[in-house]
Amino acid sequence: MDENVAEFIRRSILKIPLCEMKTILKAWNFLSEDQLQTINFRQRKEFLAQEVILMCEEKCARLDDMALLDIVYTQVHRHRKLWNVFEMSKEPGEDVDLFDMKWFQCSFKKILQRALRNVTVSFRVDGKNAVWIRIAWGTQYSQPNQYKPTFVVYYPQTPYAFISSCHLKSNVPLLHQALKVASKHHQIVQMDLRSRHLDSLKAIVFREYDQTFESHNSTVPLQEGNLGLDMNLDSNIIHENLEEKERIHRVTQETFGAHPQPQLEFAQYKLETKFKSGISGGILADRKEPLRCLIKFSSPHLLEALKSLAPAGIADAPLSPLLTCIANKKMNYFKIRDK
Amino acid sequence: MESANTLRQGGECKGGVLAYLERLEAQMNRSSRKSEELTVHTKESSQRTKIHELRRQRDKLRAEVKRRQARIKASLDNEDPNRTVELSEQEDLARQWGNVKDILQAYRFTGLSGKLTSRGVCVCISTAFEGNLLDSYFVDLVMEKPLRIHHHSIPVFIPLERIATEYLQTDIQRFLFSLCEYLNAYSGRKYQTDQLETDFSAFLTGPLQRNALCNLLSFTYKVDQGHQTFSFSATLLYEDLTAALPTGVTVMCPGAETSSARWEEHRASHEMLFRTKPLHQVFASFSKQVEILDLSLVS
Repeated sequence: MDENVAEFIRRSILKIPLCEMKTILKAWNFLSEDQLQTINFRQRKEFLAQEVILMCEEKCARLDDMALLDIVYTQVHRHRKLWNVFEMSKEPGEDVDLFDMKWFQCSFKKILQRALRNVTVSFRVDGKNAVWIRIAWGTQYSQPNQYKPTFVVYYPQTPYAFISSCHLKSNVPLLHQALKVASKHHQIVQMDLRSRHLDSLKAIVFREYDQTFESHNSTVPLQEGNLGLDMNLDSNIIHENLEEKERIHRVTQETFGAHPQPQLEFAQYKLETKFKSGISGGILADRKEPLRCLIKFSSPHLLEALKSLAPAGIADAPLSPLLTCIANKKMNYFKIRDK
Repeated sequence: MESANTLRQGGECKGGVLAYLERLEAQMNRSSRKSEELTVHTKESSQRTKIHELRRQRDKLRAEVKRRQARIKASLDNEDPNRTVELSEQEDLARQWGNVKDILQAYRFTGLSGKLTSRGVCVCISTAFEGNLLDSYFVDLVMEKPLRIHHHSIPVFIPLERIATEYLQTDIQRFLFSLCEYLNAYSGRKYQTDQLETDFSAFLTGPLQRNALCNLLSFTYKVDQGHQTFSFSATLLYEDLTAALPTGVTVMCPGAETSSARWEEHRASHEMLFRTKPLHQVFASFSKQVEILDLSLVS
C-alpha cells in the first residue's frame, strides 16, 4: 500500500471522534464485517489507527478507497465546509434529461483528467438523488494535494449543485465546465447563497422547508390564533396590549410561516447608497459618492432569530423585506444600490 | 200579673219601681239573649258557611293535586317520545355532517381535490397507478391577480415552473391537468421501478441503475426457461415524461452464446414485452412462465 495513502488514512482515523468511528468505518464498506468486529473501539486512537492501517494493508487499499473514506467523513461532518450554491440552466426547448449516472461520472472525470493530468476524482452516490464528488487537485508537474480537496454535491435532473470553497481559484472554471458538460447544461451561475448547513441550503433551494398543507385528510388541526401566546390563564389579569401582541404574532406567522426555518448562520448586506440624513451639514451628508458599508447579521440560527425579533419586542412588525425575503429569494448576500 | 197591675195603678209602690226595674232587666236580658242568640246564630251560620267554603276549597285543591299528578305521569309517559324526536334530529345532523366530511376526504380518490384556505386554495394531487394509490402532492395557490403559487411539495425535477409559466395565468384547468399528468406518470414509473427492486430482485443479476425521474433504467436480468438460463441486459428510456411506458427499449444478449435463434427469439419477445407492458408485470409474467414450466416438469 502506498505510504501516502496509509498516512492519509491514519490522519483521517485520528480526525474521526471515537463515538462515530464504527458508523463511519461501516459506511466506508471497505473492511469486512468480521474485521470490524475484531477492532477494539475503546483503545486509544493512535493504536486504533494502527490496527485499521494493518487491515487496510492486507486488503491493499488504494487511492480510490482512501478518497471514499474522505467522502464518508465529509458527509458526516458536512458542517465543516462552507457550501456555495450554483444554478445551471439549459437552452429552452432542449430534450428531456435522460440522466445516466455512469455516463455522468465517466464524462466528468474525463474532462478533468484531459485538462489536468494529475487529478483524483471520486464519486459516492447518496441515496437515489444525490452524488458526492471529491476532487483533489494537482498540476501538470505535481501530484494531487489530497489534503485540500473540493467537494461537489450534485442533484441530478435538477439545476442545482453545491460546491465547497475551492482553495485554488484557478481550478474553479475547469470544475464548472466539467459539471456543465457532464450534466448537459449550458450555463452555470453562482447564487448569492452560502452556508455551512448543506441540508438547509437544499431545503431553501428546493423549497422544501414549508411542508404543511391544509387538506381535508389531515388529522392534525391547524393551530391558528393564539399559538404560543399563553394569555388569559387568570381571568383577573388583563393584558393591556393584547391586541398589539396578537397583531405582531399574526404578521410574523404570515411572513415566516408556522414551519421551522432552515438554518443559516449569516446574512450580509453590502450597501452602496448615498447617505440620507435629516441633519444637514453633518460629516456624511452631501457626499456625491455613495457610502460603502457592509452589514453582517450572524447567528447560530439566523432565520429563527429574525422571526423572534418582533414577538420579543426588539423590532417592529412587519420586519424589513430585506430581512424576510432571505429564504424566499434564496439569497443571503445582498448588494443594495440606490435606485 | 200583679206587677203589671201595680204598674198601671200608679207605680209608686216599692214593688212597683223595683218590679219595673226587674221588668226592664228581664226585658233587657231577653233582648240581649235574643241578640246573643242572634249573634250566635249568625256566628254559627257564618262559621258553617266558612266550613262549607273551606271544604269546597279543599276538595278543589285535592282534585287539582290529583289532576296534576295524573298529568305529570301522563307527561312523563308522553315526554319520552318528545325527547327521542330531538335526539334523533341531532343524530341525523351529526350523521349528515360526518357524511359530508367523509365525502370531502374521499375526494382524494378522484386524483384531484382541494381545500379552501385563508388565502386561496390548497390543491392535492393524489397519484395512482393501476389501481394502487401512491404519493400525494400539494400546490398551495394564492388567489390574487396574478395567481401565484405560495408553496408546494412537487419534487424539484418535475418541470413545475415551465408548466406554470405556460398555463397558470391563462388556463388553470390545463395547468392542473398537465401537472397531474406529469406527477402520475412519474409516480407510475417510480412504482414500477420500486416493484422491480423489491419483488423481483431475484431476476436481477446486477444493481438496478435508475435516476431521480425514473426515466432511464438499466439492468441485467436472467430468466430460466426449462434447462436454459437466458441472461439479458436491458435499457429503458422514457423520453415522454407524461407516460409510464418506455419510449425506447433496448434488450441485448451479453455473452458469446448469443447468435442462436432461440436467444434472438427471446430477446425480441422481451423487447416487445417491455415496450407494451409495465415493468413489474413483465417480470410477473416471467415468474409465471417459470412456475408453469416447473409444474410441467413435476407432472
